[in-house]
Amino acid sequence: MESLGLYPTWLVPGLGSGWIVGLIATIHVLFSHTSVGAAVFFAWLASYANRTGQPRYLEFIRRYGLFLLVFSYVLGSITGAGIWFSTTVASPRGISTLIHNFVWMWATEWVFFLIEVTGVYLLTYLATRVDRATHLRLTLIFGLAAYTTMLVIVGILSFMLAPGKEAWFTSGGYRLGFFGANTFAHLAMRTAFMFTMMALVGGIIVARFEDRALREALGRKLAWVGLAGTVAGGLLFLAYLRTLPEAATVVMANRLPPSFGPLMLAAVLGMVAYFTAWLLRPRFLHPVGAWAATVGILVLGLWPEETARESIRKPFIAGQYVYSNQVVARDVPALGVRAELPLLEARGFLATHAFAPASLRQIHEGNRLEAGRFLAITTCSNCHTLERTGMRPLVNYLGGVRDVRALAGHLQATVGTGHVLYMPRVPLNDAEAEALATYLATLPAGGPR
Amino acid sequence: MSPEQLLALRDQAGVPSHPAIFLVLGVLTFALHIAAVQVMLGAAGLTLWGAFRQGPLWQRLSALMLSTAKVAVSVAIVLGVAPLLFVQVTYDPFWYTSNVLSARWVIAFVGILIAGYLAIYLYYWRNQRPGGRGSGRHPWLMVLSVILLLKVGFIVHVLSYQMHFPEQWMAWYAPGGVIDPGGRGLHAFHLPRFLFFILLAVPVLGVWLLALRRYLQARPGEDPAFLAFLNTLAARLTVPGGILALAMGAWWMATLPSKMATSALSPWTLLAALALVATVFLPWALGKRLDEGLWGYAPFALGAVALILVGVARELIRYRTLLGGHGYDPLSYRIQMDWYSTLTFFLTFGVLGAATLGYMITVAWRAGQTPGVYTPTVGVARLGRWATMLIGLWILHYFILGFCTWGGL
Repeated sequence: MESLGLYPTWLVPGLGSGWIVGLIATIHVLFSHTSVGAAVFFAWLASYANRTGQPRYLEFIRRYGLFLLVFSYVLGSITGAGIWFSTTVASPRGISTLIHNFVWMWATEWVFFLIEVTGVYLLTYLATRVDRATHLRLTLIFGLAAYTTMLVIVGILSFMLAPGKEAWFTSGGYRLGFFGANTFAHLAMRTAFMFTMMALVGGIIVARFEDRALREALGRKLAWVGLAGTVAGGLLFLAYLRTLPEAATVVMANRLPPSFGPLMLAAVLGMVAYFTAWLLRPRFLHPVGAWAATVGILVLGLWPEETARESIRKPFIAGQYVYSNQVVARDVPALGVRAELPLLEARGFLATHAFAPASLRQIHEGNRLEAGRFLAITTCSNCHTLERTGMRPLVNYLGGVRDVRALAGHLQATVGTGHVLYMPRVPLNDAEAEALATYLATLPAGGPR
Repeated sequence: MSPEQLLALRDQAGVPSHPAIFLVLGVLTFALHIAAVQVMLGAAGLTLWGAFRQGPLWQRLSALMLSTAKVAVSVAIVLGVAPLLFVQVTYDPFWYTSNVLSARWVIAFVGILIAGYLAIYLYYWRNQRPGGRGSGRHPWLMVLSVILLLKVGFIVHVLSYQMHFPEQWMAWYAPGGVIDPGGRGLHAFHLPRFLFFILLAVPVLGVWLLALRRYLQARPGEDPAFLAFLNTLAARLTVPGGILALAMGAWWMATLPSKMATSALSPWTLLAALALVATVFLPWALGKRLDEGLWGYAPFALGAVALILVGVARELIRYRTLLGGHGYDPLSYRIQMDWYSTLTFFLTFGVLGAATLGYMITVAWRAGQTPGVYTPTVGVARLGRWATMLIGLWILHYFILGFCTWGGL
């Protein structure tokens, strides 16, 4: 029996496995961008402190470093591994695609991460135990290594949206998958916003400085960096949009929630206002306010951004060849990858899925509903919940129809043909379409689409 | 699950280098990771033990072990990333399936680890910060931390162990033919195997204390009473702990399921056991030489070799089980050679990583032994300049290569 290497599916009722990944990823972005931004800022600040003979600034590095040990290097590194774990269970073939194409780049990032983590420990524990030149050297190494981790991961994240060059499909190789216009626009945007996050979180540290003059001097520096990062990030975001593949642009214009644009604008303007107020009235800086602003950027900026990044990839999960429902959708001749749609068309999901129970491989009256449930879980639940809440509830897309024949016809005419924007092609033969429709007809009524 | 189905689960993209390289790196990085885990567990346990003991020696040791545990968790996490990466390359059908079948626990792993790690920090803040009492306040935080860290270890043990039983996956995913996609279960475990790796923390901590003792000896004015205390404690931990761990290892081998049983007396298993025995008795054999040169570090170094051999034996059990029982050979993974990224990693690791980590560890090592402010020698400072330059060159190469690729050159 010819088998498709599809894994079991993890179902998170009422929420959706994608949202679990999104939650962990959003939190991780805050931790990781803050640490990379801080590492680069430390390198500049240590050099500035040395040049101008103001060693008092080094205390900021020590205190911020101590804070980062928990904030970024406990919570950040665990949530970093958490992204792997969550994508493993939510989208095994998605993460597998990235691993098998870029394992060596990920391993390379790991080397820099080792250096980065060693660096933060040395900077905090040896701050007063090594001479000035060595401290400066360690700060520089820490900053450069931290930024290099971002260089690597942005290449992989950009590949998730689309390979850097179209030629990758025919020629293969890490370079063509990694580098393209989107990679550099993406990198520039994240580089700018990492300074925003560094300044926001830095506010929590500097607001606690007892020495008012030092607090205000450092506060001004952070505010300028934060302001510049936010303005540049906002502009670079617009540049980033221009590098999106055409399909992603169409999805962005038609499928993102209406709140996306206003939320992103509010996040950028809110940060500009916050840093400006901070500059104009240094006393405005308060630990509670700094925490509130950090949570604000997490909710208003990072969550919409991360969910949008996931949405505009649709119907793919990685490299524009693996669908979000794990099916390989197109050939990649350079890698010897073959599309699985022809086999699905010929044999169907139930006959070929490695984890379809034997009792469901042939559909009949007695197992139709269960077969439909299997198909809904396998082909739909990566992106849609099967309940009324959570990630894009499936019932919201059925238009209130409960007639099995009508639903089956609708499924075959829409997702079956692959002509629906944003949706993968799901080739369903008559029996499978009827089974899926039978199950969908049992779902609780949903709200408006 | 038939061999054909297992092979179908492999990623069609193939692997970018010979699969043996990933297996070797997987074993080596697993050994590093498990060493850090054992130091972490041992140090956390000793911190807890010290919280209930009186006297300045225990107070000092407790503080040292708390700092060790705090850093070791971080090191264990960072080092754990590598074997987690490499297992997905050649054993993807097994790792991914095992994870999905226990998905809730996989997600819980993240939360439990964060809680366990934060509990160590909370204990530290309650006891060791300036103005703190030293140790002993809120010991329940350390108890909680150890329990949570053990739970995390158990989850990973289950995820690894479930990989060995493809014949049961369908029963776990669809009991009675009805799929249960909640990922709620921890379906298979082997207590002796789990306990072996946990108990190994005792002798590993013993040889770690010997290394710490040798390191502190180089500090001017170090308290001889504390050094003697470390020596006694290390001896008490290493020999009985080692024997206990070996007994647990023997129990693990004796209770291997029938399809794995041929690995019980394989030469690699015996070699690993021999290396552990040698590690346990090396301090006794070295005697006073532990105070000379680098000999004080020799037991820990031999322990590291023993852990690599344990890693090899563990890998061979998996390899043989999946090959013999299920026809899956990771070495037959299709190679889609990518020279560029392969060389990028090995040069980054072997040259840039060695220079930079070498510099940083040297600075940390010597600063810890130097009273007052440490100023590196000319050679060490030069290594630091080289390290910085190499990272700078790496970044430059990234942009040159990237822009050329983008521009179609």
